[in-house]
Amino acid sequence: MKSSKIAMCGFTAALLVSTAASAKTLVYCSEGSPENFTPAINDTGTSFDAARPAYDQLVEFKRGTTEVGPGLAERWDVTDGGKTIAFHLRKGVKFNATKDFVPTRDFNADDVLFSINRQWKPDHPYHKISGGKYDYFNDMDMPNLLDSIEKKDDYTIVMKLKEPNITILADLAMDFATIQSAEYADYLMKKGTPEQFDQIPVGTGPFAFVAYQKDAVIRYRANKNYWGEKPLVDDLVFAITPDPTARYAKLKTGECHFMIAPRPADLPEMQKDPTLKVISQPGLNVAYWAFNNLKPPFDKKEVRQAFNMAIDRDAIIRDVYLGAGTKAKNLIPPTLWSYNDKVPDYPYDPEKAKAMLAEAGVKTPLDIDLWYQPVQRPYNPNGKRIAEMMQADLAKIGVNAKLVTYEWGEYRKRLQDGEPITAQMGWTGDNGDPDNFFFLRGCAAARIGGQNIPKWCNKEYDEMLVKARTLSDQNERAKLYQKMQEIEHEEAPDMKLAHSIVYETMRAEVSGFKQSPLGRHEFQGVDLKQ
Amino acid sequence: MFRYILRRIVLTVPTFVALMFITFVAIRLVPGDPVEVRVGEHGISPERLAMFRRQLGLDQPVWKQFLDYVWRLLHGDFGTSLSTSNPVLREFLTLFPATLELSFAAMLIAVIIGVPAGAIAAVKRGSAYDHILMAASVTGFSMPIFWWGLLLIMLFSERWGLTPVSGRIDLIKYYFEPVTGFMLIDAALSDQKGALLDALHHLALPAFVLGTLPLAVIARMTRSSMLEVLNEDYIRAARAKGLSPFRVVGLHALRNAMIPVVTVIGLSVGALLSGAVLTETIFSWPGVGKWLIESIFRRDYPALQGGVMLISSVVILVSLAVDILYSVINPRIRHAR
Repeated sequence: MKSSKIAMCGFTAALLVSTAASAKTLVYCSEGSPENFTPAINDTGTSFDAARPAYDQLVEFKRGTTEVGPGLAERWDVTDGGKTIAFHLRKGVKFNATKDFVPTRDFNADDVLFSINRQWKPDHPYHKISGGKYDYFNDMDMPNLLDSIEKKDDYTIVMKLKEPNITILADLAMDFATIQSAEYADYLMKKGTPEQFDQIPVGTGPFAFVAYQKDAVIRYRANKNYWGEKPLVDDLVFAITPDPTARYAKLKTGECHFMIAPRPADLPEMQKDPTLKVISQPGLNVAYWAFNNLKPPFDKKEVRQAFNMAIDRDAIIRDVYLGAGTKAKNLIPPTLWSYNDKVPDYPYDPEKAKAMLAEAGVKTPLDIDLWYQPVQRPYNPNGKRIAEMMQADLAKIGVNAKLVTYEWGEYRKRLQDGEPITAQMGWTGDNGDPDNFFFLRGCAAARIGGQNIPKWCNKEYDEMLVKARTLSDQNERAKLYQKMQEIEHEEAPDMKLAHSIVYETMRAEVSGFKQSPLGRHEFQGVDLKQ
Repeated sequence: MFRYILRRIVLTVPTFVALMFITFVAIRLVPGDPVEVRVGEHGISPERLAMFRRQLGLDQPVWKQFLDYVWRLLHGDFGTSLSTSNPVLREFLTLFPATLELSFAAMLIAVIIGVPAGAIAAVKRGSAYDHILMAASVTGFSMPIFWWGLLLIMLFSERWGLTPVSGRIDLIKYYFEPVTGFMLIDAALSDQKGALLDALHHLALPAFVLGTLPLAVIARMTRSSMLEVLNEDYIRAARAKGLSPFRVVGLHALRNAMIPVVTVIGLSVGALLSGAVLTETIFSWPGVGKWLIESIFRRDYPALQGGVMLISSVVILVSLAVDILYSVINPRIRHAR
């Protein structure tokens, strides 16, 4: 009797093992450990990617785009000239259970209030938990945008803004605006372990969190009841592999199916390998060379245009970006809606540049400072090298550029204060809304200490920028942004240098992955062909 | 004997104090503080910057920060990591078993191969084997770990498919909760068939890479120490008594030759832990080395200070243990005091 029981157990165990083996597991070789699993207190793509499978937001980016669509809010009404937004929440959405917490109720308005108020209200019981830094909430200026947020009933949230700003919808689709479970938060507070809230995620997302071992692995299980696009694999595993060469090796041997951030040097070999698939598109960023529009001679439009023609950007893309960059002509990358492809680019023409300078009354040799970025950024692989190439180009039109730099924090501060006459800078977009780029050339940001580094303030441009925030029709907004790109080209407050090119590499059997202009890695809808 | 050990323990105190001071100052000499380094193009408003500095105690004078730090340390409080908000000690203890497992395996490989290889070279002094071994040991000693690790991955994993590229276990086939943090033990406890073997399979290559340097040192040390011992009178006496060559070399000579080797093994622990930083990065091994490197990038002062203190404590304790062991192996040392 006893022995047959044992045999029975053995049989069940074998059965379990065999089903586990036939389950589909997608392994993603990620680059590092998340800081924790609450996106609101994080600020790295690594942490966002790690937590995203577990969660949803009120509104969401359609996978592979920057377009905002329904999420936990099925629909929303914009009234009061863009100052009031009422969100109608989806019914019957369940939170995923974890080992020691089983939710008793569906998602409702309390969860939305909890998630926003934790970041907003300093007296919220969870505000100070886990360090209490809400970088994105503050970076996106939410405290100045939001007037009030109220629950009308269990499935309606009314958000009032201080002034009309439709771009808040794109903000709410960002990771920091993730909706977490208020019930789970209460449960942990009563238990006396609120820190666990940020370590073991409970969300409504396409995958349910199973386990995390720092620097080793994150495990997710598919949420078969997911309300949105269904996960097609049974398990999702993040194999944390910091070294890009090791990631590539694992991809080749099949230890992972998808890897982040290949080394540019490995790309040619990857592209030749028939067992791998490489896709790419411009990243959500721009590198530019800002001219200080308040200081002569850059207060003259013709001078700024001449400098735009003086630099051989193709050479810089070729020699410094090594294929991981593309020439920019607008402030926004071509993957964003409203990108104006009709705007012409400035040609590389040192002779004409020289003539234009002379015409504008600039005496050569002219001495200027050229500030270069001290650190590598996604859009700028090597500030110094680029500055040296620019210096050589400038010498050809009779301009002596002195290279200057500071430690990154100091550099940024001095640029915002309008100190340098010319400086390299760039931007990485946050929410894929064009406003998130164009505000960089708005008059409000041109103040001392503002993000408008050229300190360029154009009335016509600024009026359109502000107006676009009040329009809920995307086509109307796009028209304004396209016009603004024309103005910006003509006025040339800066020289647009490049957008980076982002590569995604996966095994050939991976299907359904959509590259996100926002650099997100999302795995619902992704399958493995056998 | 007891007095000797006590004296050695007392002597570690100034070492600890110096360590506390150096780690504290060194990390602060690196430009950029924990708040600054996290900020991208957005910048940060002066008010928020001041608020975070105040929260982290960075607005205090440095000497006061230091005294606070020492005070907390004396109470066993290593602080809280700035990036993860977890207690530093807990993070260290979760990751340290992985480093320990890797280092232990590396040392085991180094000793098991290094000692016999060196001993044989000494016995066959001047032979082709001796020359080849010594050349190999110089190469092993000067091999940059990063390059060596990648080379072996390329050959063993990519070309020949003999070992997995990285990680501690096959993530698709096996899943069990960590109990001890030592993958071999957890795998053995897990009841999942083949897990232990798979864990060993994953451990082999990184352990060999990390063990290369101590292996080279131990082989050389054993050889030269053996050469010295083999010329001693008591070896001649042993031979004259008609003992078998194996007993002469294997028991009488080797045991005496081991004294300096044990010292070298003890000293290698420090080198092993610093080599672990690179090995862990290449092989995605979730240990403390990689954690420390990341803490530097993030200017995570508490994690870095706590981590360095804890690792240094390990090195200090190991060298203390070696000193004690030394006196056990060699009675002359303990009687001399």
